[in-house]
Amino acid sequence: MLEMLLSGFGAVFTDPVCIIMIILGTTVGIIFGALPGLTTVAGLSMFLPVTYAMASGTGLSMLTAIYIGGMSGGLISAILLNIPGTPSSIATCFDGSPMAKNGQAGKALGLAVFASLVGTAISIFFMIILSPTLASLTIKFGPWEYFSVTLFALTLISALCGKSVIKGLLSALFGMMFATVGLSPIDSARRFTFGSLQLTSGFNLLAVLVGLYAISEVLATAGSNQPPAKVHEYKMRGLGFTYKDIKGQGLNLIRSAFIGLGIGILPGIGGSTSNIIAYSVAKTSSKHPEKFGTGIPDGIIASESSNNASIGGAMIPLLTLGIPGDGATAILLGGFMLHGMQPGPMLFQTNGATVYHIFASMILSTLVMATVMYLGMRFIVKILKVPANILLPVIVVLCSIGAYALNNRIFDMWGLIIFGIIGLVMSKVGIPAPPFILGFILEGAFETNLRRGLEYSNGNFFEVFTRPISATFLILAVVSLAATIIKQQIANKKARPKEVN
Amino acid sequence: MNKATKKELGVGIFFAVLAIAYILESLNVSTFTPFGNRGLDSQSVPAMIGWLSFGLSVLYIIITLVKDRKNRRMEATENDQVCDVDNVVCMDIPQNAKKLSLTRIIPIKLLLSLVYLFLYFLFYQSLGFILSSIGYLIAESVLLTEKTKRKKWALFITLFSVGIVVLIYVVFTNYLTLFLPKGILG
Repeated sequence: MLEMLLSGFGAVFTDPVCIIMIILGTTVGIIFGALPGLTTVAGLSMFLPVTYAMASGTGLSMLTAIYIGGMSGGLISAILLNIPGTPSSIATCFDGSPMAKNGQAGKALGLAVFASLVGTAISIFFMIILSPTLASLTIKFGPWEYFSVTLFALTLISALCGKSVIKGLLSALFGMMFATVGLSPIDSARRFTFGSLQLTSGFNLLAVLVGLYAISEVLATAGSNQPPAKVHEYKMRGLGFTYKDIKGQGLNLIRSAFIGLGIGILPGIGGSTSNIIAYSVAKTSSKHPEKFGTGIPDGIIASESSNNASIGGAMIPLLTLGIPGDGATAILLGGFMLHGMQPGPMLFQTNGATVYHIFASMILSTLVMATVMYLGMRFIVKILKVPANILLPVIVVLCSIGAYALNNRIFDMWGLIIFGIIGLVMSKVGIPAPPFILGFILEGAFETNLRRGLEYSNGNFFEVFTRPISATFLILAVVSLAATIIKQQIANKKARPKEVN
Repeated sequence: MNKATKKELGVGIFFAVLAIAYILESLNVSTFTPFGNRGLDSQSVPAMIGWLSFGLSVLYIIITLVKDRKNRRMEATENDQVCDVDNVVCMDIPQNAKKLSLTRIIPIKLLLSLVYLFLYFLFYQSLGFILSSIGYLIAESVLLTEKTKRKKWALFITLFSVGIVVLIYVVFTNYLTLFLPKGILG
């Protein structure tokens, strides 16, 4: 493993283009993360086509650099504007903004960058350790095991996302419906093509992702009438904080990183959830919970360490099972596919060198992220002042290039509008998007493995229960659904309003 | 029946209708059994998805109606809470932290943005990337600019749109080897 990692570093450091792309990607990610209304997913969608002409290692290094930068950039607007740049920095606002108001914006930014650096480093370390081990286990999976894992991922994300399990499940099924358009797996029968040749190849994953995340985000921001927020003034010397400020924060930092790592591994949820959980845990376990929200380092460290730690966590199921951990890793999945690689257990066997190239570049991106944030804060803050009326249309143009360049056909661009509208409507009526994406991505694996499993077992479905791994995942799927339903019932009872006479 | 209930009912009805249409269309899928009748054909999984969606949407409609009935007798109390983007966890906002406000959507700007996007893609091939993109950038940027500031911004928006589109075209076609339609300029 160490040899492979060293050769990965060798590949990164001997390729100046790769280093430039990592610096560029990290900076772009930070800017996208910092700008309210734009997220990492939009940045990744926009820059995916830029990687088409690059070598796979360089292209994917750039995408992971955007991911790391984007997850970190949200802290800037959270602290200086009191608006989370990304949903992953919601809890950073709670203590970051009061610190900025108290004239401690530089310290808040410094602490947040430091926590982001540590959180990312811990999660990447565990990603590098765990991924090859898990991949060697999953290589023994047959169709029933894959079917069960897919089913587990779909039920888990449907259960976890949104306030209603049924809505989550419907969202996943909705995504699966779109995935069945085109030729069926195994026997290539035409389905739901309505005689259209264009529909025969189905909807492109990139068009779905960009439409659902980037275009819908841009449309929503375009339609909002939020006035430009006031940027707090800041002064940052050196790292912005002293040893005294982080003394006693070790446990908080590491605990929050592990929360982020664990949540990142779960399919569909990531930094946006982990930062709130880590903040809550830090508050409840603190000796001075009443100080949370008044501008103390504890809250900032918990939030930023956990959201960045979800990066490594989300990468683990992507690399070992081909299941994206969040929206950003769903785009990364598309990136892997565009570069001719299929994430999953075979990835380490077939493209081991590229995988370790990506690992090495992620370590470098983490350091670049901290350096860019510390040294380039003044420049990033200036970008926060760029008006949305100029920025948003450019993003749409760049996204459309990505969709068009896939197959040089306008059909994929119509997909952007369709899925952009779907994404916008779904967010308006409270249907979570992650299950839709996962349903769309996993339908192929779900159907192929179910059909293959039945063929191998001569039509005997009960064989799925006789195999230990598949049976375990099916039980986990049922348990996760049942647990969520019970939890919701309890929450509903607790929150039941007072009866009116 | 309040607005929220109507919205939830709408969601349920939409999925129920969609599921029925999907099930009906799945019946037209031609089936092959290349390996004999040992497993599922290409119609089975879509049928499964369709029936499951139908069942769940009906269940959702019923739950919404039952909840509405209960809620009529209840008084809603809401705390100041913040949830993550996927609504997995919510927590009370700390007393000193300002409540995050949600943005209000202006449908006209949104609708016009969609129309501009539609026209942009419609003329993407025939007019070419450069002309269609310049047109889209100018139109969308003007739309997003405050009415009172449009005159002041007009020149900058035009020059910026032309400059950025030409820059993007040169970078993507010459350095990133992507093909972009030339349209009438080709």
